[in-house]
Amino acid sequence: MKLTSNSKGNNIFLFIIFVILYLPIFYLIFYSFNAGGTMNQFTGFTWEHYQAVFEDTRLIGIVLNTLLVAMLAALLATFIGTFGAIYIYYVKKKQNKKLLLSLNSILMVSPDVIIGASLLILFTLIGFNLGFVSVLLSHVAFSIPIVVLMVLPRLYEMKDSMIQAAEDLGANSWQVISRILLPSITPGILSGFFMAFTYSLDDFVVTFFVTGNGFSTLAVEIYSRARRGVSLEINALSALMFIFTLALVLGYNGIQIYGQKRREKAAKTVHFIESEGISL
Amino acid sequence: MRKLLIGILSVLAFSLLLVSGIDYLNHAQGFTGDNTLTVYNWGDYIDPSLLKEFEEETGYKISYETFDSNEAMYTKINQGGTSYDIAVPSEYMISRMIEENMLRELDHSQIKGLEHINPRFLDLSFDRGNDYSIPYFWGTLGIIYNDKMIEDIPTSWNDLWDDSYRNELMLIDGAREVMGIGLQSEGYSLNLKNKQILVEIAAKLKEMTPNVKAIIADEIKMYMIQEEASIAVSFSGEASEMVWENENLHYVIPEEGTNLWFDNIVIPKTAKNVEGAYAFINFLLEPENAAINAEYVGYSTPNDAAKELMDPEIIADPQFYPSDAAIENMEVYENLGPEWLGLYNDLFLEVKMYRN
Repeated sequence: MKLTSNSKGNNIFLFIIFVILYLPIFYLIFYSFNAGGTMNQFTGFTWEHYQAVFEDTRLIGIVLNTLLVAMLAALLATFIGTFGAIYIYYVKKKQNKKLLLSLNSILMVSPDVIIGASLLILFTLIGFNLGFVSVLLSHVAFSIPIVVLMVLPRLYEMKDSMIQAAEDLGANSWQVISRILLPSITPGILSGFFMAFTYSLDDFVVTFFVTGNGFSTLAVEIYSRARRGVSLEINALSALMFIFTLALVLGYNGIQIYGQKRREKAAKTVHFIESEGISL
Repeated sequence: MRKLLIGILSVLAFSLLLVSGIDYLNHAQGFTGDNTLTVYNWGDYIDPSLLKEFEEETGYKISYETFDSNEAMYTKINQGGTSYDIAVPSEYMISRMIEENMLRELDHSQIKGLEHINPRFLDLSFDRGNDYSIPYFWGTLGIIYNDKMIEDIPTSWNDLWDDSYRNELMLIDGAREVMGIGLQSEGYSLNLKNKQILVEIAAKLKEMTPNVKAIIADEIKMYMIQEEASIAVSFSGEASEMVWENENLHYVIPEEGTNLWFDNIVIPKTAKNVEGAYAFINFLLEPENAAINAEYVGYSTPNDAAKELMDPEIIADPQFYPSDAAIENMEVYENLGPEWLGLYNDLFLEVKMYRN
């Protein structure tokens, strides 16, 4: 049997999966317009829950906190993770490399509860005040292994001969890194950043352990509210967040497509110049 | 490389934007640092308008944080690294925190309005003389049923074993609560320390399992309102919200008596703004504020003066403000200590796992 991506069965399967994944989100968004106040019955259209979100300054503050932590944590983790991946790539001894990779994977698969509890113990042991910084550091910590795993495959895809050629032509190590190494692994770095960003954005378990002193993130806040029944204000907020992430993804794809088109155009021009024999 | 630099710069620019946004919000709300009062309370357990009014009245700014269980709150405060000025634990947790020296002894000369509190809710076993805690809300455990779906109205814990409720009953997921149902149905104390009887009680509870549809927590509220089940055991505050949402629902306090529980305000040892904490306690003790809060939250207030200001229909409801005679029958949880608590938990787990 030949597997093709556009066979009918595949398409139906894909469609069902997407419906299952997106239905709850749209259900949630649908009820954010419910005048009834609960998710039991749709009684009428209203904007009041959205109004409530914008009037709730504490909630907006928490959203901004969450985004800030996610941004900075993803940035720091991408820095550390990228250089970590490059280091692992260049480790000569096979055994050491394997050891480093296993240590990285263990962090990936170890349960959040364990990571959260041990970080809490660590912070309190050294007398660190819980709050913004403790949350940020924890998020950096659990995001690094993800970035490493996103960047490493790109490194292995890269042609070593390019680096050798550059070195032969007299490039110093900074030039090799900035002109060859980093550009060829950029897609990996970017996806590492975005993965770390989303991980940080929705992390509950680790954050739950290390928040304190009035600092809170959205996941923790919604969880505490859930005890008394999540209000439709949260639905409205979720809808806004969904639109925000949708815009981010579309924007990112737009930039990718734009860049690709420009490259294609440039390639065409070069081809045109060569074939017409125009001398530069 | 250029792409990466642009990426880094845009992330930093966005972060800066966020920081200024947070800064603006803090300024708009008037946070400056040393005038902040950090309150650690259950989720959605205070009328938000009261927080605003407190800020306007006193000039303190409230940084409000929430928790979902006594245990989570205990861990946060015990581990240090935080400085909550106000916390609201339940009675058994208060006695544990007193034992572990985590609470600040209250200076009663700084507290105004304690005279409004019904003496019944003061000087209780978990905090004699109210040296550490001030009552915030109280409630009971009871049976909620839907009069459309049930013919025999339950009046006692023993009714829960009735065959007519087969696969209809939802229980709150708490070891002391469920074991308590068994204990009180046989006329024992909720704080019984007798292994043999406890094992017998667990065996009796196992006989109830054909009736049990689910052992869950907060979801009970939603299921009952949506009429997914006809009868449940839950707390009075939860019940008041259910009754509010669905008029077919009713709350019954079983005739054998039930558990009387409290959430009290305490000041942890780690508090930084003790002065503000006293101001907050006094603010909540004011009858007017206590009344607003009780109407919003739906749990029963211990503040007698506040009751006079509230909707008489709420106060007259024996489901949520039972008579003194009924309260006489109720019992407060005592801190059993880890060993006995372990036994309660183990037996409850056995009941939960029991299949018939």
